[in-house]
Amino acid sequence: MASSSSSQGGLVELASPSLQPQIKTPLISYLGPAGHLYSRFSQWRTSIGLPNPGTVEGLQKEVKNTLLTNFFFDGARADLNKALSMNPAFQVTHSFHLASQTSMPSYNFGAVFANASLFLQGGVDHDGNLNARINQGWSPNNVTKIQASISGDPQHEGFQMEHDYQGQDYSVNAKMLNPSPIDLSGVFIGSYLQSITKNLAVGMETVYQRMQNQSGINTSALIKYTSTERNWIATTQLQPSGILQSTYWQKLSDKVDFAADFQAVIKPQMRDAIASLGVKYDLRMSTVRAQVDSTGKVSALLEQRFAPTFAFLVSGEIDHFRNSAKVGVGVIIETSTLTPEEMGMPSQPYPPPYP
Amino acid sequence: MPRTWSSLFTVSDDTKEKLAKGIDVSRLILHYGWVPFVIYIGYTRSNPQPSLIKLISPLA
Repeated sequence: MASSSSSQGGLVELASPSLQPQIKTPLISYLGPAGHLYSRFSQWRTSIGLPNPGTVEGLQKEVKNTLLTNFFFDGARADLNKALSMNPAFQVTHSFHLASQTSMPSYNFGAVFANASLFLQGGVDHDGNLNARINQGWSPNNVTKIQASISGDPQHEGFQMEHDYQGQDYSVNAKMLNPSPIDLSGVFIGSYLQSITKNLAVGMETVYQRMQNQSGINTSALIKYTSTERNWIATTQLQPSGILQSTYWQKLSDKVDFAADFQAVIKPQMRDAIASLGVKYDLRMSTVRAQVDSTGKVSALLEQRFAPTFAFLVSGEIDHFRNSAKVGVGVIIETSTLTPEEMGMPSQPYPPPYP
Repeated sequence: MPRTWSSLFTVSDDTKEKLAKGIDVSRLILHYGWVPFVIYIGYTRSNPQPSLIKLISPLA
């Protein structure tokens, strides 16, 4: 899915920073000396030219895209995507998934609409469970996102609303999960990430959980280090309750990405740690992902594109500690009602007429 | 004016019932209306506009 948030980081970095204080100054001048101090401060801040650190949600974006965990499937699946319009984008998807060891056979219908500022997505499965999503971009730096899932089973129902703001050298996000106006319960999350140097960004995420009879607050620290060439990224998230997650991502060449992920739980009652290593090759017509982790699992996924409209997927996983294995095959077929000219491809020259 | 600030946030049982009913109704509307709404928006804004049979059928 082309979520509008993924492109935000690039946009903010490109925006010319020198324009901002000139626009702000007249408004600020009404505040007297405090406003003067603020405009001096923001000018000084602009002159350092720190980059935007990216969103807190996207802290591990590169690692998640390289590791196989989010792409793995077993059994058989078929996705039929139909693009009905390019600008604005409108697409419907039929997906079938059968013979999986972990889930029942399922059918899912989805519709996606996206233009420059609005993204709408709706999905419904054979049981009538609904997934809904809206992203509304108010400006290049301000995005509001709403997600809801509705089903007969209250355990799988959820509502989430969040707002993302990306400043010149910082990002702020406020989120609420399952807020209820009746008893004011829900989970409220606020996060802030600030660039300190051109490479280093630090931040924090606070989770406030409010139930009928109890509430709790939990703050975690975030650190992100990006190399000067932007070809490797290291991140750490630490919760004082004893949960540590560290990731490392490196672009080894144009076509090869490497990622490592380490998660540890250190509490008086339990100690546990999992490490995974993954690599992704992007070849001309295919993508290969392979992964090894410390629980004894070795897995791989091949995504082979035979034609622009047809892709074939094979995945496999062997759990050496439990002596079990999973395999999956899949096809992705993309059809379009559009002619090549409408899709923005160069038109074929007409054959010359008979003399 | 509320006498204390905490009384501002306490909701009467009657209002609670109304709120719960309102949430239930909007859930129902969202459940059955969302996918048709996305398809309607996509269908009317599409350029060029596709035919309806191509929209729904997986094979056409």
